[in-house]
Amino acid sequence: MRPEVNMTRRRIFHAVLALTTISIAASPLSADDPDNCLLCHQFRGLGRIDNETQKIHAFYVDPDYSHLRQGPHARLACTDCHERTEVVVVPHQPVSRVDCARQCHLSNPNGIDRRFSHDPIESMLASSSHTLETLGGLDFDGGPLLDKDQSSCLYCHDEPYFRLPLDVAPQLADATERGIDRCNVCHAETVPIDVEYDLNHMLARLQPSRSPLEIAQTCAVCHSDSKVTVEHKMSDAVASYVRSFHGKATLLGEHHTADCLSCHVRAGENAHLMLGKDNPLSSVHAQNVANSCRSTQCHPGADPAFATAAVHLDIPTAHGTIEYALAAIFIFLTIFTFGPSALLVILDLLQIIVGRVHHPSARIEKLTHEMMANSEGRKRLKRFSPGQRVQHWCLTILFVTLVLTGFPMKFADRAWASFLVDLFGGLSIARNVHHWSGILLFLGFSFHVVQVVISSLRTAKRAGPDGRPLGLVKAWLAMPMWISPQDIRKTMQLFAHLLFLRKERPTFGRFSPAEKFEYLGVFWGTMLLGLTGALLWGEQYASRFLAGKTFNLATIAHTFEAFLAVIHVGILHIYNVIFAPKVFPLSPATITGNTPVEKLVEEHSEFVEDAAMELGFSVKADPTA
Amino acid sequence: MSKNPPANRVSVIAWFVRGTWRNIKRVIPRAYAFALAFVICYLTYQALAYLIIGLLRPASSPPQITQLPRRMDASLLKMDRSSWLALDATDRPRTPPSHYHRIGDWIEPDRQSGCTTSGCHSSLPHNERKEVRAFLNMHATSVHCGVCHMKTDRAPLSLTWYDLSSGNSTNPPAILQAYGLLTSDEYEKNRETPDSDYQSELVRLLKLAAKEADNLPALKQLADHVSAVRATSDEFKLLLVQAREALPRHFRGEYGAKIGMRGVGGDPILTHPNTEKLIAQYLEQKDTIKGRDRKDLLDRIHPLRRDKPLDCSACHRKTDSLIDFARMGYPPARAKALVDPVVVEMIENINKGVPFHLPEFINPKR
Repeated sequence: MRPEVNMTRRRIFHAVLALTTISIAASPLSADDPDNCLLCHQFRGLGRIDNETQKIHAFYVDPDYSHLRQGPHARLACTDCHERTEVVVVPHQPVSRVDCARQCHLSNPNGIDRRFSHDPIESMLASSSHTLETLGGLDFDGGPLLDKDQSSCLYCHDEPYFRLPLDVAPQLADATERGIDRCNVCHAETVPIDVEYDLNHMLARLQPSRSPLEIAQTCAVCHSDSKVTVEHKMSDAVASYVRSFHGKATLLGEHHTADCLSCHVRAGENAHLMLGKDNPLSSVHAQNVANSCRSTQCHPGADPAFATAAVHLDIPTAHGTIEYALAAIFIFLTIFTFGPSALLVILDLLQIIVGRVHHPSARIEKLTHEMMANSEGRKRLKRFSPGQRVQHWCLTILFVTLVLTGFPMKFADRAWASFLVDLFGGLSIARNVHHWSGILLFLGFSFHVVQVVISSLRTAKRAGPDGRPLGLVKAWLAMPMWISPQDIRKTMQLFAHLLFLRKERPTFGRFSPAEKFEYLGVFWGTMLLGLTGALLWGEQYASRFLAGKTFNLATIAHTFEAFLAVIHVGILHIYNVIFAPKVFPLSPATITGNTPVEKLVEEHSEFVEDAAMELGFSVKADPTA
Repeated sequence: MSKNPPANRVSVIAWFVRGTWRNIKRVIPRAYAFALAFVICYLTYQALAYLIIGLLRPASSPPQITQLPRRMDASLLKMDRSSWLALDATDRPRTPPSHYHRIGDWIEPDRQSGCTTSGCHSSLPHNERKEVRAFLNMHATSVHCGVCHMKTDRAPLSLTWYDLSSGNSTNPPAILQAYGLLTSDEYEKNRETPDSDYQSELVRLLKLAAKEADNLPALKQLADHVSAVRATSDEFKLLLVQAREALPRHFRGEYGAKIGMRGVGGDPILTHPNTEKLIAQYLEQKDTIKGRDRKDLLDRIHPLRRDKPLDCSACHRKTDSLIDFARMGYPPARAKALVDPVVVEMIENINKGVPFHLPEFINPKR
């Protein structure tokens, strides 16, 4: 950079800094608090408690609101809202309630104050669902929220702050300051405008003035109040909203998701004109809701049918719907698949607790040791090939990633959910990671399916017991992971053994029925989760072919199947491969492919025998045993 | 253990150790299995209960949405901020509906003062005389009750700052120290020949002051600005002027510390000594105990109480103030403001309960 340019910039900077300094020094309190009320009201403790009503009268006002021009009302003097004649005397005279529709004066750098009033809002409310009569007649759980004569505006509004879109463009915080300095070169005196105020106001208006969560909090004052909802025959709309995708994103701190106003206020219309869903003019009326969903900011390419997806779906209150039925089916399936598996594990542990020792066959034990002593035998007793182990670890990593990025959405109201999402750098990133992990998992799954098909085709060409090729159907049914009638019988025998109804503990082949069951669960789960996940991800495109209800069903299937997978893996699989006494601290099967001898002897003796027979080991039963 | 213990002592010990070890080895796997079974049962129950309850019980709004104070009741002051999950869920939590102005963090009572932690007095204890009650409560964030209410013959009062998180004696608040730095001779010297040590110290104090005032953004920003420039630059000099003008705006009693009476060892006196049992007795009987008995009990609970509390002008006076502001770390400029004749006159009016119009100085524009 040329030195003279640099020098000029420095001069400008000094001039601006000096101007700013002078302006602050010359009018420390007059510009932002013309009546100097903050002399006392800036103290947090200024207030009292009414002995009779126990109500706190807090007179504290955040001084930075005025000093730093933090909101549109920072331009107002206190006496614009509070009657001057009442507050000019100390102690202040009994102050009349603030009337939000009274006329105020907006200070202007050119010295000409402008008059302003919120009066038009009153007429807007009169034609909305939130008429002043309705608001005035609200009866809350635990008593009134406002004092007599207080403005109904307070139900929804408190001191308005500028909400700068810093989550989108954090550099705005710095840019604002620099921008002000540059603008003030001309706009401080020559063409006076309040640059800082106008810039903040404009930037804040690039997005809603409240975050989706704040809006939900505001609406919940009435719409989650048990008495108000009963009296007005409404459901807890905020509760069902936070069960939707939008609501969960809101709970997880997402600022760019649909909030209550996104749907319930027509595009370009004032929020004070909000209407009930039965009003044909309402944005959520059956005739209009599709267009509300398809607004350019939300789901622009979606089919109108998309709007039939339920935003306020609360399953427990949706009796008789297909969504309720599907949820009930999934819960039933979860209980009757996870339940028996968990029972098996608990009964297995019970054997150790009561000291019941099962002595496996000495012959099998001897045979297993002989096999393990032999290099070829050791190789044959590896239950998992290197390829399978790699696939398992890929599945493990992707599964954990999917759980870490997906479960915060399911349990969005838990503290750990926000923590996890923050770890990923926010919901947008977590969702991206979730989507791409899902894609990778599905690719891995497809690769596995191809492997299975190729393996089946090879088996089909092999000669069967009759010397002819086995055929595709038989080859398919001969796959080692199918649960056979024999597996079911042995599982029943295992239950009988663990319940002390049978002495002998059944033993299995290469894979136990529990392992086969887990494998098929992963198979089915990956397909279901992949399909429903893809539907939900590409909801706009999918809506061209599918009804909106499909997305409700896809959401239910996705969430319940994922839950089943997590409890199965998180509780039972983790037990089987880490905490089970026979494998603790970690089963080597998926690292080296080897299964501990004790486990082989006790659970996979048929596998040992088959392998021994193929290698020519003597597998005859010991006549003395 | 075998049934026939050996005869000599060494063998007995060895026999005992071996037997114990055998038993331990037998018990550990069972205990481990029991613990595992318990964990699996518990997790299974939790998972299935979640599913079934989720199908049967209608959803309610979560605490991030609803756990906001709905009313401005005294009970607010008894609760931790952490009780209101929805307050922390957003950057700018809304106030209870009946209150328009944002109250932010103000609902934090003094956790060290025995007067409030006993459950007897609220954090805004004065509520009788309309003329003064709010002004007296205004001091609750920076002055312990004992300063005005505990008896002492010393003049000026023997006082100390105490840390609001630990209750221990501490240095004067950083913002006062920073303002001292900006109004001292050092300031003028640095305006002429800036010094990086002076800059470092100022930045340290400003950052600390911001932290003490609930991470006040304005002070943090000021600290960042001052630390971002070189001490020898003209910008630093200009920032010194800005900081000197800006700091008085933050003398709001939010210092992370309060002034309390200084005890013999230098520690603050934050409660009346040896009164725990009497306080418990009072709280138990407060609705039934009357008349003379009540007065006697209250006298015993407050052995250090002044007969007549200090009034405002005992401290806010030009001469013979009971608070030696300089000794308490107030820079001369701030101490002067606290005993400014106009302020004193206003305080006298308030104290006398005489209604008065706000003086013209309050409104420099008019």
